Amino acid sequence: MSEHVILFAGPMGAGKTTAIQSLSEIEMVSTEAANTERHVVDKETTTVALDYGEITIGDDEKVRLYGVPGQRRFDFMWAILKERAKGMVLLVNNDSPDPVARAVEYLGSFTELVESGCAIVGISRRDIARSPGPSDYSAAISAAFPGTLIPVFTVDPRDQAQMTTVLLTLIATLDSRQPVSMQEVAP
Amino acid sequence: MTSLHREPRAIAIGERALAELRELAPSLVFAAIVSDDGFELAHAPQNSIDVGRFGSMTSSVQALSDAVTRELSIGSSGYVVIAAEAGHVLQMRVPGYPLILAALFDTHEMLGKALSSSRRCAERLVALLEPIDFQESPGS
Repeated sequence: MSEHVILFAGPMGAGKTTAIQSLSEIEMVSTEAANTERHVVDKETTTVALDYGEITIGDDEKVRLYGVPGQRRFDFMWAILKERAKGMVLLVNNDSPDPVARAVEYLGSFTELVESGCAIVGISRRDIARSPGPSDYSAAISAAFPGTLIPVFTVDPRDQAQMTTVLLTLIATLDSRQPVSMQEVAP
Repeated sequence: MTSLHREPRAIAIGERALAELRELAPSLVFAAIVSDDGFELAHAPQNSIDVGRFGSMTSSVQALSDAVTRELSIGSSGYVVIAAEAGHVLQMRVPGYPLILAALFDTHEMLGKALSSSRRCAERLVALLEPIDFQESPGS
């Protein structure tokens, strides 16, 4: 059985916990605390350590899904979890202030995954704020990380089908980057 | 009551409880009272450790220990101990409040004594906070 560890990162309120909830086939492990920053993002609770879920792709490919807290003051959790991650879904809420700059800033905290092309960006809450669009994100990301190709999707983290598409796209990218062994290419 | 760390009367009570903890446990190196999501209510002594970082880590560790006890169906977590070569970190929830007490003791302190001092501090906090209605403004 092969395994992937995928990180869900991004600002507070982008939908990381919801995305893992939509995807996970086990009951999600969550670490929510009462949110005292309601003036920043108006939601009752916030993730303070991690979210954890699992999904099986195909017959035997297990994907472990880890969500990290959005606030930078919890970046020690980012450092712990990115060590074991093979890929990353960065979610950005399009109705937050300057979301494109925030996406670039967050990607900059996960440069190993970004530069190896093992990241994907999901724009959430685009039903609330239409602009900026995916091409604005792509242009800014290409400028900040020249030579990398980071796919950008519009997503609704509540929608299992949409999140599955994003995840499968990322996993296909990861699989295509795995070195092919000599045995496999031998006639 | 979720923003106690911004309430001056709660901050004063927190500082008082930590001062009493320092008197009770001379081996206390550092202690902080933080909100469930890691914001500082009070800390002591001043200027010794980055309380912002310490508070965020306290919040994460508490939430992880709660997740473990929930997963194993063993009730709520009483306290968390991190025993290291040069000190012990002990943390626990303040009963009835969205607050966590975390304290670093040097290794001269027996773990049992550190635990009983911390518990006493948490109980003292509750006793001092309980009579105050934080929904009302101080002058009303």
